[in-house]
Amino acid sequence: MDSMLMSTSAALSPYHHNVADFYPRKLGSKPDVVPSGVTERKVGPLDKPDMVTVDVIEHDMPPMHKKKHDTYVLGTIHPFRKTHRSFPGKLLQEFRLVTSDRRSWRILLFGFLNLLCTACLLVWCSSTNSMALTAYTYLTIFDLFSLLTCLISSWVSMKKPSQVFSFGFDRLEVLAVFASTVLVQLGALFILKESVERFMEQPEVHTGRLLVGTFVALFFNLLTLMSVRNKPFACVSQAASSSWLQEHVADLSRSLCGMVPGLSGVLLPRMNPFVLINLAGALSLCVTYMLIEINDYNSVDTASAVAIALMTFGTMYPMSVYSGKVLLQTTPSHVIGQLDKLLREVSTLDGVLEVRNEHFWTLGFGSLAGSAHVRIRRDANEQLVLAHVTNRLLPLVSTLTVQIFKDDWTRPLLTGALSPSSAPPPGGTPEGYAGLPSLPPESERVTSTPSKPGSPPPEFSFDTPGRNAQPVLLPAAAHQRPYGAPTYGAAPLGLRVPGLGGGYGARLASSHDYRTLGGAVHHYRHYTPK
Amino acid sequence: MDEKYSNNVLSGGHLGMVEVPNSRLTRYIVLLVISKILKALGIFESYDILKVVHIVQFIFILKLGSAVILLVFQKPFSSGKVISKRQWIKLLKHSVFSCIISLLGFFGLTLCGPLRTLLLFEHSDVVVIAFLGVLFTSSGGGPSKTRGAAVFIIAVICLLLFDNDDLMAKMAEHPEGHHDSALTHFLYTAIAFLGVADHKGGVVLLVVSLCLKVGFHTVSRKLSVELGGAKRLYALDNLVSAVVLLPWVIVLSATTEVSTGLPTVSPQSKVESWSALLLPFAMIIFSVVILEFYVEAICNAKMEVQRCARYGAIALFSSALLLANFWTHPLTDQLRSMSKSPQESSTEHVLSGGVLVSAVFFMMSSSILSSPSKKGQKGTLVGYSPEGTPLYNFMGDALHHTSQSLPRFIKDSLKQILEEYDSRQIFYFLCLNLAFTFVELFYGVWTNSLGLISDGFHMLFDCSALVLGLFAALMTRWKATRIFSYGYGRVEILSGFINGLFLMVIAFFVFVESVTRLVDPPNINTDMLTPVSVGGLLVNLVGICAFSHAHSHGGKSCSGHDHGHSHHGHSHGDHGHGSHGHSHGGHGHSHSSGGGGMNANMRGVFLHILADTLGSIGVIISTILIRQFGWLIADPICSLFIATLIFLSVIPLLKDACEVLLLRIPPEHEKELNNALQKLEKIEGVLSYRDPHFWRHSANMIAGTIHLQIMSDVVEQRIIQQVTTILKDAGVNNLSVQVEKDAYFQHMSGLSTGFQDVLAMTQQMEYMKHLNDGTCIM
Repeated sequence: MDSMLMSTSAALSPYHHNVADFYPRKLGSKPDVVPSGVTERKVGPLDKPDMVTVDVIEHDMPPMHKKKHDTYVLGTIHPFRKTHRSFPGKLLQEFRLVTSDRRSWRILLFGFLNLLCTACLLVWCSSTNSMALTAYTYLTIFDLFSLLTCLISSWVSMKKPSQVFSFGFDRLEVLAVFASTVLVQLGALFILKESVERFMEQPEVHTGRLLVGTFVALFFNLLTLMSVRNKPFACVSQAASSSWLQEHVADLSRSLCGMVPGLSGVLLPRMNPFVLINLAGALSLCVTYMLIEINDYNSVDTASAVAIALMTFGTMYPMSVYSGKVLLQTTPSHVIGQLDKLLREVSTLDGVLEVRNEHFWTLGFGSLAGSAHVRIRRDANEQLVLAHVTNRLLPLVSTLTVQIFKDDWTRPLLTGALSPSSAPPPGGTPEGYAGLPSLPPESERVTSTPSKPGSPPPEFSFDTPGRNAQPVLLPAAAHQRPYGAPTYGAAPLGLRVPGLGGGYGARLASSHDYRTLGGAVHHYRHYTPK
Repeated sequence: MDEKYSNNVLSGGHLGMVEVPNSRLTRYIVLLVISKILKALGIFESYDILKVVHIVQFIFILKLGSAVILLVFQKPFSSGKVISKRQWIKLLKHSVFSCIISLLGFFGLTLCGPLRTLLLFEHSDVVVIAFLGVLFTSSGGGPSKTRGAAVFIIAVICLLLFDNDDLMAKMAEHPEGHHDSALTHFLYTAIAFLGVADHKGGVVLLVVSLCLKVGFHTVSRKLSVELGGAKRLYALDNLVSAVVLLPWVIVLSATTEVSTGLPTVSPQSKVESWSALLLPFAMIIFSVVILEFYVEAICNAKMEVQRCARYGAIALFSSALLLANFWTHPLTDQLRSMSKSPQESSTEHVLSGGVLVSAVFFMMSSSILSSPSKKGQKGTLVGYSPEGTPLYNFMGDALHHTSQSLPRFIKDSLKQILEEYDSRQIFYFLCLNLAFTFVELFYGVWTNSLGLISDGFHMLFDCSALVLGLFAALMTRWKATRIFSYGYGRVEILSGFINGLFLMVIAFFVFVESVTRLVDPPNINTDMLTPVSVGGLLVNLVGICAFSHAHSHGGKSCSGHDHGHSHHGHSHGDHGHGSHGHSHGGHGHSHSSGGGGMNANMRGVFLHILADTLGSIGVIISTILIRQFGWLIADPICSLFIATLIFLSVIPLLKDACEVLLLRIPPEHEKELNNALQKLEKIEGVLSYRDPHFWRHSANMIAGTIHLQIMSDVVEQRIIQQVTTILKDAGVNNLSVQVEKDAYFQHMSGLSTGFQDVLAMTQQMEYMKHLNDGTCIM
């Protein structure tokens, strides 16, 4: 352990000096490290008393997959299913978990108030027979949803990833936001449908409770918005593109600031869309009330219901698009530039030929996950490249998986000493490769990347997902490569066949050797250039 | 000057173009305003005259008089080029069109009165083109233009809905014999056929003719260039129009000459003396036709068209408002040439609140729409100049926007829809549903039954779910892009989720409705309901049969409600369910969307149809119960029951969609994946694995990522190969494997600067080491 730490700290300084030309140095250091690790392994248990502190932290970190192993081994115990048996009980348990936090009490209190207010408003809606008030009440119901989302988000923050939900529950937040915005839009659609029916036969609207209801709803909505810090909705409303209501208000207030420059501090920042729609809805209800009171225009009610429904659509649509895109596992467009820059950097690393099949998507709000396949030169050191690629991407992409692959790796290098795998392993190799016979036919085995049954082989899969970005091939790497372009069938066949006996032939059983050869041939036939 | 930002709150400032200061243009502005006021006066005058003079005669006189004056001023024959025969034909067409437009305009005047006509018809071309640009092209020119268009629409709607004109009620009951000629009679019947009151018909007519007028002006610009100037064209046009109208007028006067025997109805009797009309006619010709034309021409030459339109509109509308207020006032009686009987003056078009509001809105909208757009125009790059600066083509793309011809677009999308089974199925059913809906709607309008119409709208509401499903089924096949790096397959899961939410909302509304009815059961008229619900049931049964054949699991029974429940039960049950419906991710079986019933989109659509069917069945049952036993309570109880059924049948769909959206391990592959992970550990050289993530991305893609720690002496590529194969057997077909050795952690700790990272890495290394011990002992 100590020696390891020493070696890393020793390695620290050269890495810092020149990251760009790490390649030769790496090759040199590699053989030193491996044996030390191997020897260390045997002394490990004896050292244990010395590293108590480390051990404690260590237990903190990976207990999850240790436990997982247990369940796998035992097989039949599925913790998730067991709790699934009593759904209400589970719900109650989770609820207790949430209420154990003091902060969520406040949310619950407001939720209760909101429920009362909504029930009251719904009664008033039916008594006034006003469509516009109903449309406005749906905004109150939306507030209820947003409080629920808030609760969910606090639950999510307490919850660890489980075995079946391996990414954790961050997405539940997104899903809740999406569901609540979509539900409100569906409600608005319903309002539109009802309004169309009402245009044909306008019933009379009683204005008695109309204004009272408006102000009660406005008050409660604003109170909820101001006093509960709603993290998920704040995220979405900031990240989503602005709604048309916001755009118009911004445009209006910009011209207003032209006349009264003093207002610029109040008006120019981006308005909160929820406050905006609440105010606008209340305004249109007031206009409705006035017109009905003065001139008895009952159809104003329907018109303002339509207006509120359209405003609801306008406000919610960008948010549901944003959260829907998160749910669809898309690359968020605002990080594309940054990602491209990083990928370009990665593809200029020494040894990297191209980056492809890159999938980057948002996990929850803000945290990025992703995977990419990096094709490297045959003589490049995989672990070093992997470390550098990971190091580049990790600040941006928190959950990262990088698959390194080489073309035609079964063919040994001419300069065999460069390859890390050519160093004779300490022992147990025959058994190691004996594990292979359980493998399926060769055609699938040799492809280093998973490919869909019908899709073209990966080397030519420029039209597979994620390949719209041009792979930036390292121009400088071209002359460093010993074989030129390694695959694409450009390499003469004769070069490969004699080479086959060199590297692995000595260690592998002859039958297996044949298999590899067959696979390689197949591989080549597969990859004939188009 | 405070003009730094803007002087107009609504239009959002003129930061873009620099306008000539007003002070230099005062003369022209004053001229413009005066001409507009005179024009308003002339229109009011002509409304009065039109009460006694036939419309065709009126237009003929107008055209003839202006032609005479213009001939004197312009001398179109003696000056300029000789007009060829082809140009004469074009001129003829032109003037026929202009006759039609002025006919429509003045007919609208007789219907709506002068004020409303001025508000609707006298918009400048710039305003209308900007308005149409906002409506029909994507690049409207920023939010302010959109606002202007919205204000315009609101103003028209105000005129349509909130303007209870007293005269209109009176005119609506006019006897058929009142109409002067075949033309007006035809127009009246056309408006009556539309089913709106006369004055609303007039509003619609005026809006349509406004659009026609603008289009006509745009088209005639070419002809005016050909003929050598707009003024010459105008003069000639007036002349030719008068000639075109001449035969009609002669026929008209001949027929009225014959019918002089009828003293009360004939138009001849309305005109006491033509000589008394001479002065007003001269005034109208001067103000409406001649002066306005010349002043517009001068102002357009001296200042921008937009500003011209802005001032003109404001002057015209405000003067129209003032005139409308004072026209019936005794003070203006001297102005008016026509002496009116007191009874007639009481039926003038009054100034109502709606008209006031709409006038204000019209002023606002024309000032917004005619303000220069702040943003730069969207041009297309043509090329580069010799100096290297880019050249753009600023064709106004308001009306020249040709992206793709509509028939071609429809044809393409139809072809796409019919290509695949799912979308084809949805499309056929959508067509059937829409056909039924429209039959229902038409029948409802025909028999004036509100219940039928509202049911039709309800069906349309339901159709939106089908449209969503269709769209999702189409989108699923789109190619992957940079943003959608895995492809669009997940869209259908999202669409299934939305459809599930939709059904929840419907169930909720039905529930609330039935609860309120349970408290107070209303009396239902059942005689219309039965045929409609039977029709709906038939349509939906067709849909259910078609869709359940698409889903192999549903094929056994057409009564789908059972199916929903069995599914529900199963998905809550244990693992064995996986082998029942979902084609199990075994080796040869790829997870095709058609076979497994796994497609959330289709499930959502199917459940929708199911819910509709249940609704029809419920209606039929409750009708029978009400008829036979008179149980009014049967209806709400039935709907309660239906709402509960819908709710219960949606839950499994929602749950499955949620699981996919939350990136759960696909339940039907869980066991295999566990086995595969166990197998992974047994691969020689693999020490451990971490962060195994497997999730269903779309119906036929299961993605996965895993990190493996291996011994330092093993070839990584071999491990990757083996892992990929094992996991592919378990159903994962989009995999990324990160293979890490000791060296990786060393490099990482070398590369990372933060202490925390180093600590984490060393822990990771420690962990690996212990595992190694374990494997060594074993």
